[in-house]
Amino acid sequence: MTHFCSRAAAGLAALGATFFAFAAYGGTLDSIKQRGALICGVNEGLGGFSVRDAAGAWSGFDVDFCHALAAAVLDDPQKVQFVALTNAERFDALREGKMDVLSRNSTWTLEREAGQGILFAGVAYHDGQGFMVLRHPKIDSALELDGVSVCVQDGTTTRPNLADFFKANSMTYKEVLVAGPDEAIARLEGGACDAYTTDESALYVVRLGLKKPAEAIILPDVISKEPLGPAVRADDVAWFNVVRWTLYALIDAEELGVGQATLDEAQKSQRPDVRRLIGAEGDLGQALGLTNDWALRALRAVGNYGEMFERNLGAHSRYGVPRGLNQLWADGGILYAPPLR
Amino acid sequence: MRQHGTAIAGRRCKARLALGAAFLLALLGAAPVRATSPDAITMDVGDEPGRISTEEVRIEEGPYARQLVFFRSSDAPGTVVISTADRFLYVVLGGGRALRYGIGVGREGFQWSGLVKISRKAEWPDWTPPPEMIERQPYLPRFMAGGPGNPMGARAMYLGSTVYRIHGTNQPETIGQAVSSGCFRLANGDVIDLYARVDVGAKVIIRQAAQL
Repeated sequence: MTHFCSRAAAGLAALGATFFAFAAYGGTLDSIKQRGALICGVNEGLGGFSVRDAAGAWSGFDVDFCHALAAAVLDDPQKVQFVALTNAERFDALREGKMDVLSRNSTWTLEREAGQGILFAGVAYHDGQGFMVLRHPKIDSALELDGVSVCVQDGTTTRPNLADFFKANSMTYKEVLVAGPDEAIARLEGGACDAYTTDESALYVVRLGLKKPAEAIILPDVISKEPLGPAVRADDVAWFNVVRWTLYALIDAEELGVGQATLDEAQKSQRPDVRRLIGAEGDLGQALGLTNDWALRALRAVGNYGEMFERNLGAHSRYGVPRGLNQLWADGGILYAPPLR
Repeated sequence: MRQHGTAIAGRRCKARLALGAAFLLALLGAAPVRATSPDAITMDVGDEPGRISTEEVRIEEGPYARQLVFFRSSDAPGTVVISTADRFLYVVLGGGRALRYGIGVGREGFQWSGLVKISRKAEWPDWTPPPEMIERQPYLPRFMAGGPGNPMGARAMYLGSTVYRIHGTNQPETIGQAVSSGCFRLANGDVIDLYARVDVGAKVIIRQAAQL
């Protein structure tokens, strides 16, 4: 009797689990396909990451990632509806289902993930707090900043990070509080502060606001961890995997030398890892609920990670952000994606 | 190219020879080279013996300006890493950082990858264009003594027993580009800076884009 009961219970539980798994599988991915468009939450305006032009067209690194997803899922990178979100509303809006993915320079932390119903799909950009200094007097390292005055914005984590960094390295500094980047520029140019500290990604944008951008340099030291990445709701693992592996596919593609510039050549390649990536071999796309050429579509739309980076932020953009931490692990950075196999 | 045009300090635009259209546009600062993928375009510019580029010419602005960058490496400080796909040359400084220079990569620079050592260094090197180069550009001299009008530029660092070298240039607008000839070229002011930091015997690692 007990046997029967426990078996029945187990059977019911298994049934429930199957049902749940199907419900989850049929969630976000199916609604995107039915809707015929991906809904993507982005920043209202952040140079290099998410910018809207006068005609209403979006561009930038975070924006391109959504084009890649739309290409992978819907075979059309333009089938994206962008939703501009403020800092304060972004996670609630994601939880409430107002978008399929949040691709909005958000830092991946424990507090934002555990128990919050949100999962970060990976790190798309390794950001961190850095320093911009005027070229003269010559400073090469953040460890040479002893005794300088530093402009910092109040009410952010940058201020305590700054204090910790100077204390840990036995240095002193004069703090100059500023309301935002515009005031920091004015103070730097006026000589009220020698350095300005905020996240590196923002420093490259701020530098362009200087009368003579070449007079300022951004030090290579990064004093905090700000891993930025796309986030999704935690109740749909199937969709989470699509987002995660699309990001990884863009990174792996760069490592394999596959990109917009080499796509034709890649389709003729006999290398197994290249063939798996572009879907000529194996069923990786199907495992994700997509077609096997999903990564090929994404790469055709936005290029590989490096191409996406250089176009929006790097050497081919106005900002000239060095790859730094975001260089591939084999080339001096820490960018690392698990293999597609 | 717009940014690039403004990035070169002390450039003297003295075109003395009949040149390709791409080069003329480059002089005007109007060639649309920057907007496109560097892999897609090879800057079709012939060598210009006699065009003057002095020691002061450095890349001062933009991504190809000499700058300190984050660079994780297990190689000893003083090691040179050349990434041809990105058009960057790094000198490893240790402590997770490197000094990065913008380079132009010529046809010869794309033909080899691996580890070599600096076998010789020379200031204002002489130039003896190899026969293949003469065939492509018959107007070139058979020999040219070193100096500010020499395409080899202000300094050269010879790589092992190969024909490859890191050298200066009298065409600083080619930095950041794939160019039709030469190996790894830096603006004269930058190659002088590099020369002082790199010793004979230093390791040079040349990385090409992954092969498909």
